[in-house]
Amino acid sequence: MKVRRLTSRYLGPRALAASGSLLLLASCATNAPQDTWQPKGPNAKMIDDLQQPVFAVAGIIGMIVAAAVGFAIWRYKDRGQPIPEQTHGRPALEVSLTVIPALILAVVGVFTFRVIFDLARTDDTQLVINVTGQQWWWEYDYPVQNEWGITQPIISSGQLVLPIGTKVLLRETSRDVIHSYWIPALNGKRDAVPGRVHTLRLQADAPGIYAGQCTEFCGLSHANMRMEAVALSDADFAKWVANQQAAYRAPAEGTLAKEGESVFLNQCVRCHQVSGLKRADGSLAIAAPDENVWSGAAPNLTKLMTRNTFAGAMFNLLRDACRDDVWRAESAAFGQKYLSGVDESCLNVNDLRAWLRNAPEVKPMYANPALLADTNGKYRGMPNLGLSESDIDKLVAYLLTLK
Amino acid sequence: MAIIERPTPVLDIPALPAAPPAITPSRTFGALKRPVASTGWKSWLFTVDHKKIGLMYGATALFFFIVGGLEAVLIRLQLAAPEGKVLNADLYNQMFTMHATTMVFLFVMPMAAGFANYFIPLQIGARDVAFPRINAFGFWCFLGGGIVINLAWFLGGAADGGWFMYAPNSGPVFSPSNGIDFWALGLQIAGIASLTGAINLIVTVLNMRAPGMSLMKMPVFTWLVTVVQFLLLFAIPVITVALFLLTFQRSFGAQFFDVAAGADPLLWQHLFWIFGHPEVYVLILPSFGIVSEVLPVFSRKPLFGYPFVVFSGAAIGFVGWGVWAHHMFASGLGPVSVAVFSVATMAIAVPTGVKIINWTLTMWGGKLVFSTAMKFAVGLILLFTIGGLSGVTHSVAPSDTQQTDTYYIVAHFHYVLFGGSVFGLFAGFYYWWPKMFGKLLNERLGSLNFWFMVIGMNLTFGPMHILGLQGQPRRMYQWTEARAGEGFFNIAFWNLVASIGSLVLAVGILFFLINIVVTARSKVRAPLDPWNARSLEWMTSNPPKEHNFDSIPKVDHLDEFFHRKYEEDPVTHTMREVATAEQVLAELERNADPHIHMPSPSYWPLVLAVGLPVVALGVIYSTMVAIVGGFIMLYAIYGWALEPATAVASDFDTPSTNGHAVSTTHG
Repeated sequence: MKVRRLTSRYLGPRALAASGSLLLLASCATNAPQDTWQPKGPNAKMIDDLQQPVFAVAGIIGMIVAAAVGFAIWRYKDRGQPIPEQTHGRPALEVSLTVIPALILAVVGVFTFRVIFDLARTDDTQLVINVTGQQWWWEYDYPVQNEWGITQPIISSGQLVLPIGTKVLLRETSRDVIHSYWIPALNGKRDAVPGRVHTLRLQADAPGIYAGQCTEFCGLSHANMRMEAVALSDADFAKWVANQQAAYRAPAEGTLAKEGESVFLNQCVRCHQVSGLKRADGSLAIAAPDENVWSGAAPNLTKLMTRNTFAGAMFNLLRDACRDDVWRAESAAFGQKYLSGVDESCLNVNDLRAWLRNAPEVKPMYANPALLADTNGKYRGMPNLGLSESDIDKLVAYLLTLK
Repeated sequence: MAIIERPTPVLDIPALPAAPPAITPSRTFGALKRPVASTGWKSWLFTVDHKKIGLMYGATALFFFIVGGLEAVLIRLQLAAPEGKVLNADLYNQMFTMHATTMVFLFVMPMAAGFANYFIPLQIGARDVAFPRINAFGFWCFLGGGIVINLAWFLGGAADGGWFMYAPNSGPVFSPSNGIDFWALGLQIAGIASLTGAINLIVTVLNMRAPGMSLMKMPVFTWLVTVVQFLLLFAIPVITVALFLLTFQRSFGAQFFDVAAGADPLLWQHLFWIFGHPEVYVLILPSFGIVSEVLPVFSRKPLFGYPFVVFSGAAIGFVGWGVWAHHMFASGLGPVSVAVFSVATMAIAVPTGVKIINWTLTMWGGKLVFSTAMKFAVGLILLFTIGGLSGVTHSVAPSDTQQTDTYYIVAHFHYVLFGGSVFGLFAGFYYWWPKMFGKLLNERLGSLNFWFMVIGMNLTFGPMHILGLQGQPRRMYQWTEARAGEGFFNIAFWNLVASIGSLVLAVGILFFLINIVVTARSKVRAPLDPWNARSLEWMTSNPPKEHNFDSIPKVDHLDEFFHRKYEEDPVTHTMREVATAEQVLAELERNADPHIHMPSPSYWPLVLAVGLPVVALGVIYSTMVAIVGGFIMLYAIYGWALEPATAVASDFDTPSTNGHAVSTTHG
């Protein structure tokens, strides 16, 4: 809590009548990952600078009304005074009391206009990322942008990775129902609507992880559709880009991971793409999620272990201690810690195994084989694959190699 | 049910048939006779009396209030702790959908309709509404719609798309149960109640006011409810269209919101909010009206700036049509639309603020009597102000993109809907209960009722400001500790506080229900004019006779009743009593009209309304059933059209007096 925040944010919320004190305190919260009053980038800052005076003025007006009503209650309570004169009002007073709020709002309106149009700018974009929502995860697709070293499209999910100090433009859409993309520390929310592309500016000032959450009700697991934006320094971002494009490395023959690869080829590859993965006959394994999933997409797992989350960011890939180590790292150390990814010692193996064992049990989804009649035989979410424990052992070993 | 039809010509209402009707009951089929029961269940089933219909609206709405309240308590229990296990995701989605649907469509709207039905004719000095049978039909539609919506609970699950039912999540693929079908068809039926009620009340208010009551002498409650009826008249058709599109999409494979077929899901959002935003004012303006009646009575002063309140109400009625897209600031409308709707939304804060100022100045310089009704009214001023001001913070569109779909919005609209609409309705209960039932609600229980509700409401919805600004989205069946934060503002603590608050609130409501029972059992009758009231509805017995007024009063003042009781002292300008309420009433009775025509009860509104849910069930399950429902309706329409205007002469009851001593001089 910095002193400057105290002075600029103290005034308004305090005044907001009965709930004012609560709001005041809300501004001082520590460590609330989705706090809307702690901007960490210029877009969110622009919103915050606009809203703080509005909160302040609203608070003051609320206090004035409460004081006036309180005074009237105290002063004019029936103490046996005669029935007063039947005055019907004083137009001059009423007109002025109407004009004053109108003028205040006119001033607010002017500033609001400016911010609306500033936030809608797309002409100064430095990096474009396509974001696609579906039940109940987000796909991040980095189109080819040579100036960032992106020479082939990168398709990821679970965490949006972006360079700091860069004007990033998200181009959002959806493959099924409406979702809404929201990283409170970086900007307000914008709906991802099927059939439309909406843009949202994001820019982070410092390296770190910024939490978000789908905010348009999207069905059963709406509550579990989370996001995390990871901001890296330019150099770290370049490393991340390079690694994402690095060629697939098949596990060594005879390892558990190699057996896991064949389990993956038998089961998972029906929906999940791993770029460069080849079948035993040497042909490329191409996933066909459109045949099995209503939205037509499933997370691309190519570099799964470079991410910290899985299953729509509902679960962590890192155990709590390792995760805290990354989340709470100093800005300077953050990039390196993040880029080291997930290794066996840090893997949150319990949640991952539970997910592989029976996904619909740990995340509500429409994956009941008995109900497929409604969806032309397609699932919404990952079904129970009926994997044996030894299959799961193998798969976990294999997934750990996807870095 | 007293039929106060007399065989002699009715001179003062020449439009109605005075001579024996063309089709006399004896010459028609049995089913075409008019029912005449004046007591027992039949007198309620077939009634066309606006007061009985008003009470039935009220009782049904109160029942749904309890249902919706229990749904809310379940939601709060689920969210009291992280990873809540009270409800599963599916049930939780049904619960919040039905909580909102129930509270909006089956409690606040019909409760306000109940008050409007009961008190508008009384406030304007009329004996009934313009179309009494349509009035009854409206009530049965509302009841039928409410039943259809809730029937889904027992037939495979209730609607689960949220009350806003955004496409395409409301489509058959994403919501395979029949819940949304029941929801859409039930609302369609309930919408008929609102639409017919709107036309009925508009005609009543425009045509049936007492002599001398110009529009600017009309009580504010009547004024604001009339504005509401105009809002309904134009808003209901929009939701009707939207619901038809939804039903066709779900039941008959239409593709109005299907992207693959070239449609745009935002079409639904526009239609829904073009209805939905005026709907917000439909919910709040009746309560504004009630408070505008209660505050002057208990301040012993006229409403400060009556024309400002009336015109600002009308202004809200107009501007309310131009702000719908402020529900869609995050939907991707583009900056021009967002900017325009943002400013329009700020503009509507002005007429709303005018009302707050006028109520405060009404109390200023008054002689304030803090009855329970007054407490609720003052509570509304303060709580609504909080909700209104948080509303201003999200009229600023960029700020709204941080707040929308978070608990901050939930806090906002519960301050305006609970702190506003519901507190206004409770003020109405305590204020008008003696008028409706002849007994005063217990003031001590009323005080408990009020304080538990105020504290419970602030404990429940106050913390939601924090939750929302801390980034907790709405409509999440669980929240996780990982996103809860630490310190004083952690989401975990405030979720728990809100859940405890909801129980306190529930206790407050329980006091009200106890109060109803205690009052019903009490033998103490209310005085004729318990509050020293000001408007026409108090110039009759408690409860009013079936024909409301023995003679229709001639109106010279706004607050006519008050000015019959008091005169201004020319020196001190204070008021002195010149007549008691009993004397005012006796004067009216001395001049009782010799002939009073009242509409006779009817079977057909009920029969016609029964046909609608049958059609709805048919749309969901089997076309044959729908056809049967259609025939029931057709039959009812014929019966309605051919029904004789009056009952048989021998069926006439003696005039009812409803037990009040002063009504014996009835002509």
